[in-house]
Amino acid sequence: MGRDVIKQKINDAFLRKALKNFAAAYPVARAKAFEGIDFEELRGRISAFKEEGLKRLPELVRQFTASAEKAGARVHLCATPEEANRTIHDIIRGKGADFLVKSKAMTSEEIELNHYLEERGIRCLETDLGEWIIQLAGERPSHMVMPAIHKNREDVAELFSKATGKECPPDIPHLVQVARETLRSGFLTGQVGMSGANVAMADTGAIGIVTNEGNGRLVTTLPRTHIALIGVEKIVPSLAEALDVINILPKNATGQKITSYVSFIKGPTGGEGRELHIVLLDNGRLRLAADTDFSEALKCVKCGACANVCPIYEIVGGHVFGHIYVGGIGLVLTPFFHGFDRAEEILRLCIGCRKCNEVCASKIDIEGLIVDLRDKIRKPVGQKFLFGTLMKNRKLFHATLRAAYIAQKPFQGEGGRIRHLPLILNREAANRSLPPIAEKPFRDLIAERPGTGDRGPGTREKVLFFSGCLADFVYPEMCQDTVKSLEALGYEVSFPREQTCCGIPARYSGEMEAARDLARINTDVLLKEDADYVVTICPTCTMSLRHDFPKLLAGDTVWQEKAERLAARTFNFSELAARKAETGEWGPGTGKGEKQTVTYHDACHLKRGCGVHEQPRKVLKELVGVEIAEMADCDKCCGFGGSYSIKYPEISQEVLKNKMENIVATGSRTVAVDCPGCKLQIEGGLEAAGAGIAVEHSATLLARRLKQGR
Amino acid sequence: MVDQFSTAAEAFGAAVKRFTSRDEAIAALRGIVAGRPAAASELPAEVRQQLGDLAHVPLHALDRAEVGISFASAGIAATGSLLLELSDPASRSATALPPIHAAFLKASAIVPDLYALSDTLSALLSSPGSRYLSIITGPSRTADIERVLTIGVHGPKELHILILEGE
Repeated sequence: MGRDVIKQKINDAFLRKALKNFAAAYPVARAKAFEGIDFEELRGRISAFKEEGLKRLPELVRQFTASAEKAGARVHLCATPEEANRTIHDIIRGKGADFLVKSKAMTSEEIELNHYLEERGIRCLETDLGEWIIQLAGERPSHMVMPAIHKNREDVAELFSKATGKECPPDIPHLVQVARETLRSGFLTGQVGMSGANVAMADTGAIGIVTNEGNGRLVTTLPRTHIALIGVEKIVPSLAEALDVINILPKNATGQKITSYVSFIKGPTGGEGRELHIVLLDNGRLRLAADTDFSEALKCVKCGACANVCPIYEIVGGHVFGHIYVGGIGLVLTPFFHGFDRAEEILRLCIGCRKCNEVCASKIDIEGLIVDLRDKIRKPVGQKFLFGTLMKNRKLFHATLRAAYIAQKPFQGEGGRIRHLPLILNREAANRSLPPIAEKPFRDLIAERPGTGDRGPGTREKVLFFSGCLADFVYPEMCQDTVKSLEALGYEVSFPREQTCCGIPARYSGEMEAARDLARINTDVLLKEDADYVVTICPTCTMSLRHDFPKLLAGDTVWQEKAERLAARTFNFSELAARKAETGEWGPGTGKGEKQTVTYHDACHLKRGCGVHEQPRKVLKELVGVEIAEMADCDKCCGFGGSYSIKYPEISQEVLKNKMENIVATGSRTVAVDCPGCKLQIEGGLEAAGAGIAVEHSATLLARRLKQGR
Repeated sequence: MVDQFSTAAEAFGAAVKRFTSRDEAIAALRGIVAGRPAAASELPAEVRQQLGDLAHVPLHALDRAEVGISFASAGIAATGSLLLELSDPASRSATALPPIHAAFLKASAIVPDLYALSDTLSALLSSPGSRYLSIITGPSRTADIERVLTIGVHGPKELHILILEGE
């Protein structure tokens, strides 16, 4: 995506405010809408029947076609946008008509129907208020459910004044009234009406439409011909499945329990001369449904929730984050519907925080699909060397990092932190300082350590420490604190020196072969020594060892077994430490005076990648002995995302600003984290802002406390 | 369940009144119409008869009507929603075009939630005659400008629900 466009969106004050307000209001409204409903159960059901349906999509298409035709509709299955456009054009012309009145259909945006028809002399009128606004502005939707969320009342007043020839004040109720009056004649004179559908039922041939404004009922009622343009993936077997979709859609889309109107239409209504044409749009869907790797994307019910919670969408909006379909799933569907030409730049906009996965109505692993898709596409020049040659060779990779220690020297400022980098790299350091690469990485420090260290009492379970590159080379003291804490808690710790990068940077860049090689190397290294646990202090590494290695090495029985054995014994530091809290042996004691208060930031890959969020709090409260002042959006991304903060420093910084606001609001002087990446990002931002707030890994806080206590 | 229905419907912006006799309900409807031109969709014959000249606008001249009158097949307590089976386009328009929509609902036709309606919906969708079902909750609404909730875009601005408790 062009930097200019991204900058322009970042600097669009109204857009930013609108998206920020929505990001704050949405979770509250959504939670209320789902009161008394088991979301996981509901979306589990939807996921299951969608998956089942996709496996037999051609059959569902045939069944729906037969049922709908039996009910009197005419069904047209169109393979391409061109074919769908031509079919719709011919239906309209066949009625001797030249005016199409429309309610909202994302499929119509997908095939750019208005453009096609208007070039051929057919007038199209969008009647959904948001769609009408963007039609007047000549733009495309920036959200699947709220297409004009990027327009303010002044913009709308200007557009309406021009459209009606009458001065419209920027007053929302007035503007809505103007839309009502102006579009009314469209409903009454439109010769052909068009709708989309949210769901289509194979057994009865009925379609279901969910709307709020009432225009959907009017365009399917007043004109004598109704065309419904529907993506084939919307077909479900029967009403039972349709009700689940209708139940979840408004709640997940906008936090509404139900929309004002839910309509079921079966065949043409009103007898003689009335026609219902159902245009089923394929446009790559049938092929995608049969694709073993990516068919999951078609489970999408188009609720837009993935955009609603996306920290990047919140900064740049839908004109940057996606194409016609926006949000996380938009990134995935765009290449399949609109071609792979721009896929690389669209796909790399995702920061990988997995927030979308948490809310997806059909339980799609959206983030996983984005990562897998990156493997399928053209890679930037130079990337092959970085991952294929440099990172695969541990000695070369680590030697490069050591060399970087020397190279960075001229840029280090007071206190050793880096404030100014040369040329292009400088954009990254804007508004934050960076920690330098350490003179001695942890791997050297631990080798120099005399004896076995301070082992506390306990069971002496054996732990292999997998530090991760960032902690090893940038935060060696964080690694030392981890070893100290674990030993004080009664574990025996050792550090296998042959360990190397977990492979996530390669995997996230679509270099699956390199990631697979690194998975094999690390699996062997970590299984060589017999141990009870492998512990990490970087959630991304935890996630990689636990979930990605078995996935990457699946298919090869020997490696898969090894990877699964490793995965079963891999834990994040907080998980192992929390176990000791349960024994009651290592309590923080009564302590002197008031308890210190810290706030806690959940790392994306720890909470959503590993499902760990209670244990870190247990460690802080019961072992470190501090109070936790929870911040708003504690589990929202800090904007780091590994190389993301280098690829998109402008976006990364804006995400960080939101995080810092929430931190400052708690009044805590310390932020506890369980991720070296989050520490790097947040600490850099807070330091540059002069906030005087420290960011510490839980292992460091625990090491300090245990030292005091002993 | 009637209480729950009323509370939910009101939360969605509908005006709900409960009546023990149909005569009272029709008198209240007369108050809502207040002499304005009104049209009625398909109604049970005896209700149609009782309305008399209250709904005098013919269905082909609906753009003149200010009030549309209907009779719901069912209600959903959880959301205060009405189920209308209006397969005739003109009849349906009477609940879609006028700025005010007034609907009768038998208390006995209220079910707990959307899923409890599935047998009814299923039966209707399987019968050849019924072609258009609408579940209506509150008045027409939009939040498309700055996400500010605004009532009455293209559909009715007011929804009045007259619950018949005697039936």
